[in-house]
Amino acid sequence: MGVLESYTYVLVILVLALNTMMSIYGIVYRPSLVKKLIALTILSDTVFIAIIFVGYIFVHPLVPPVYTGAIPGETEYLAKHASDPLPQALVLTGIVIGLAVNALIAFGIIQAYRLAGTTDARKLVKSLVEEGVE
Amino acid sequence: MRSGYVAMALVVIAALLPLVFVSVVPVDVPRALRELGKYYVLNTIKDSASPEAVAAVVWDYRGLDTIYETVVLYLAIVGGLAIFRISREVAKRAIIGLTVLTQTATKVIALLIATISSAIALHGHLTPGGGFPGGSALAITSMLIVPVFSVYSLLERGITSTRLIAVRGLALTALGLVALLPVIRGLEIVTNQRFYPAGLGPFVISGSISMYNLFEFFAVASGFTAVAIYLSIPEELYRAELGVGGA
Repeated sequence: MGVLESYTYVLVILVLALNTMMSIYGIVYRPSLVKKLIALTILSDTVFIAIIFVGYIFVHPLVPPVYTGAIPGETEYLAKHASDPLPQALVLTGIVIGLAVNALIAFGIIQAYRLAGTTDARKLVKSLVEEGVE
Repeated sequence: MRSGYVAMALVVIAALLPLVFVSVVPVDVPRALRELGKYYVLNTIKDSASPEAVAAVVWDYRGLDTIYETVVLYLAIVGGLAIFRISREVAKRAIIGLTVLTQTATKVIALLIATISSAIALHGHLTPGGGFPGGSALAITSMLIVPVFSVYSLLERGITSTRLIAVRGLALTALGLVALLPVIRGLEIVTNQRFYPAGLGPFVISGSISMYNLFEFFAVASGFTAVAIYLSIPEELYRAELGVGGA
């Protein structure tokens, strides 16, 4: 049991690191703005999983931090068996804000496509230079 | 084919690497809450009258942060809609949707989503959920209606982006008022239990938490519905507005 838990713990950290590398590669090297946006959403989801993972504890059973009042001595039980509410609260709002910001970026990309006819970052820069905007 | 084998080999290596690592280096996994998390879990019912610690953190302990995040949400959607503004009326067109079968199924599912999303928002202070996820879930209804019935069916029923933005403005104003009201008694901004009642008759409302959830529900739902409507207005209309031809 101990080895399996340690394995899961290290595996999640490794996968988060690989995800981060992959998404930063996508943001930096992919010329298409749409693919850059997709990589950005992968990066933000990776960060959310990392934040949730910080609040995760290896106890069984793990319960949500909700007080029901049904069990006597429930607060002590929750202090031992509940997951950390703070990372969950941060991610809860973060996902919705991220959705709105992604929608804003998507609006910008669609507008760039309408005006320049391309979502390729290199071609966009070229068409801007041709129009005299540096 | 070759790259497929390489990818498979890489996945196997990535899966085995942690096993090698933990067999060499002993790794301690966390088994107890941090002191901060423990404080929230133990004191949420006393401090904010909310049985759910996440809602208490979102709207009470870190309430001011969430108000500012709501402002970010507001500005992001305003920025998007400012890029996509259209000055002319959207001309009415014949509604061409999917088949009757799909439309009937969508009607049932849309009703279910609307019900469940309001339950998520109104129970936000008691069970996991709240205004943010509830509002996002309600916005899914319109994103489902647009492809199945076309955007004109929404516009014909008076769900226009102008009205949605008005609803969102009103909801955010109400949210700001709930946050500001304690100031008239000389308390800090975003005060909960020292100003608002914990219960209303037989109902647990957890002070201001349920009000924040309700207003945030309307703000998020109307904001994302407005985004969905703007994204599904035909491309020619925007091109005519910008004065660019077909690309």
